[in-house]
Amino acid sequence: MNEPLLEVENLTIQFRVKTKLLQGGQSTDKWKRVLNSISISINEGETFGIVGETGSGKTTLARALVGIHKPKNCTIKINGKKIDSRKRDDLLLLRRKIGIVFQDPVGSLNPRLTVSDIILEGLPTDKKLSNEEREGKVKEVAKYVELPESKLESYPPELSGGEKQRVSLARTIIGGKKILILDEPTSSLDVSIQAQILNLLIRLKKELSVGYIFITHDLNVIKYMCDRVAVLYYGEILEQNTAFELFEHPKHPYSEDLIGANFSLSGTNLSTTGHESGEPSKEGCVYKNSCPKRFVACDEDPPILNLGKGQVKCWLYDERYKSVSTKKNTI
Amino acid sequence: MMSIPLRDKLSATLLEVNNLQVNFETVDRKIEVLKDISIRIERGEVVGVVGESGSGKSTLAQAIIGVLDVPPAKINEGSIQFEGKDIFPKSDKNNNFRGKGINMIFQEPLTSLNPVYSVHDQMEEAINIGNPALKKKDKEEIIRKTLSEVMIRDVEGILNVYPHQLSGGMRQRVSIAMVLIQKPNLLILDEPTTGLDLIVQRKIIGLILNLKQTISSSILLITHDLAVAANMCDRIYVMYAGRVVESGRMSDILNNPQHPYTTMLKNSVPEGYMDEGPLKVSAGAPPDLRDLPPGCAFHTRCPFVMDRCKKDIPILKQVKGEREVACWLYE
Repeated sequence: MNEPLLEVENLTIQFRVKTKLLQGGQSTDKWKRVLNSISISINEGETFGIVGETGSGKTTLARALVGIHKPKNCTIKINGKKIDSRKRDDLLLLRRKIGIVFQDPVGSLNPRLTVSDIILEGLPTDKKLSNEEREGKVKEVAKYVELPESKLESYPPELSGGEKQRVSLARTIIGGKKILILDEPTSSLDVSIQAQILNLLIRLKKELSVGYIFITHDLNVIKYMCDRVAVLYYGEILEQNTAFELFEHPKHPYSEDLIGANFSLSGTNLSTTGHESGEPSKEGCVYKNSCPKRFVACDEDPPILNLGKGQVKCWLYDERYKSVSTKKNTI
Repeated sequence: MMSIPLRDKLSATLLEVNNLQVNFETVDRKIEVLKDISIRIERGEVVGVVGESGSGKSTLAQAIIGVLDVPPAKINEGSIQFEGKDIFPKSDKNNNFRGKGINMIFQEPLTSLNPVYSVHDQMEEAINIGNPALKKKDKEEIIRKTLSEVMIRDVEGILNVYPHQLSGGMRQRVSIAMVLIQKPNLLILDEPTTGLDLIVQRKIIGLILNLKQTISSSILLITHDLAVAANMCDRIYVMYAGRVVESGRMSDILNNPQHPYTTMLKNSVPEGYMDEGPLKVSAGAPPDLRDLPPGCAFHTRCPFVMDRCKKDIPILKQVKGEREVACWLYE
């Protein structure tokens, strides 16, 4: 097996929440855990999906991977080489390999630059190229992302949503990046435009052999686009598996609930509107307050268990509780 | 007039919009937003209006409930009949259809709920519109009963809370509860679950459909999401650039879409895994209403375009049963 292109181990991010003044009393810092020991690895040319609801930490994870958040005590490896995102040289290497396309194209494109200048921003600065060569490069990537050449001298506000997202894509692929992080790249677009962008992404992946980390809340898109998928809930990966395994045989109760709630054209069973759901738990398993299969063991933090090709973080699949899981499943 | 057998039973039709035409007019330009729209909703029916941005679906909903800003909007032609009465052109005298007659749930509950009213006061306001003479004690009882009907567990805890303190799903529940107090005959839902998490979305839709049974109202669902419409609606109208391009039974349209735009809309929703090939969509974006192409507005993206499509605008014609299509292919 090849070495994975990107490897992340034990990524934990906490945000400091200051509580003082209005609440009265002493200024105390509270820590809010946003991501809790995330470990993922992505191979070359693979599409890795991360699916989760609001507040699950999807976007924070994306930002940590490109070094916008710089967590301590976490190992990020590119091609086996360890990266410390707080060192400048390492950060440059990281950013050269990994690009990001943000959810909101309006906020991520500088409205004062022309499209071709925006795309050029993605070119590494140490490449000594003449102006003609740069222009040629821009035209080449514009062709890749199916952006008409006439738009290159426009400014972002003149573009439609789909075109803006194409510009964001062009900016990341011009530097020859190997992994693109796509943070909800299509959720602000109309469905027919979303489909065009998805087709484009699939084509780019084949032609440029780039890998994607595809972050979205849309299960239909994840299912269609990804080779492997991780299910994120309240900062923890509860299940990781191939897309087929995850959608056909979800293991974790949360994955089951999530996939069961998905709307598809072929019809969804609306009669079972699901069970009551509670807040994410701060102790033990994060999903225990909403879990229909909760039992005694769930008060303790479950281990990450290997199951076939995937991983699941649930006590139901622990050897000691096998009897519980089979019993619960038959009811 | 259309020859529909059901029209014999006049009382069965709850809402009828005939040849509605809405323009947005400013000093120097006129934009035709709705063109010749005719829709019909029977009692107890769930009718969907599906379209992408700029199709005019929200304008249609606003015109029906009478919250369209005039000016810039200008209603040129057409009539809207509700329970056999003309509710348009709107005059203050016959304006009382709002609330008990027609009620609306908006996409973003944070903007439709009053931020300086607690949940209790919002609910009381909703009661006061219909039944101002009720005793205080009865009002309190109704508030608590309705809130528990929308599956809010901790009713007492929520009463003195303000909208910004609630989660998205809870806010939408409160706005549903406010509508529920009035028991409207027609409920308009404008993208009721866009922006909500999947599991919450599923619960809210289940809740709406259950409540529809209890208060026996009809629903007009405005959405961009064909998958949501597929799971809720009996009949749908597909809109493109201000016109209805296809209408009929939901199941018929899904199984056998006739207008090329409907086909594209259906193909845009990824249903399976990637090995099933690229999504079948054509290039281009929904047109700018300020600058519509001549003839059929869809002809620039249509795979079956003919000479005639570029010149003449197709009219909605009955093809089979309740099915209507506006396309020259079926001439």
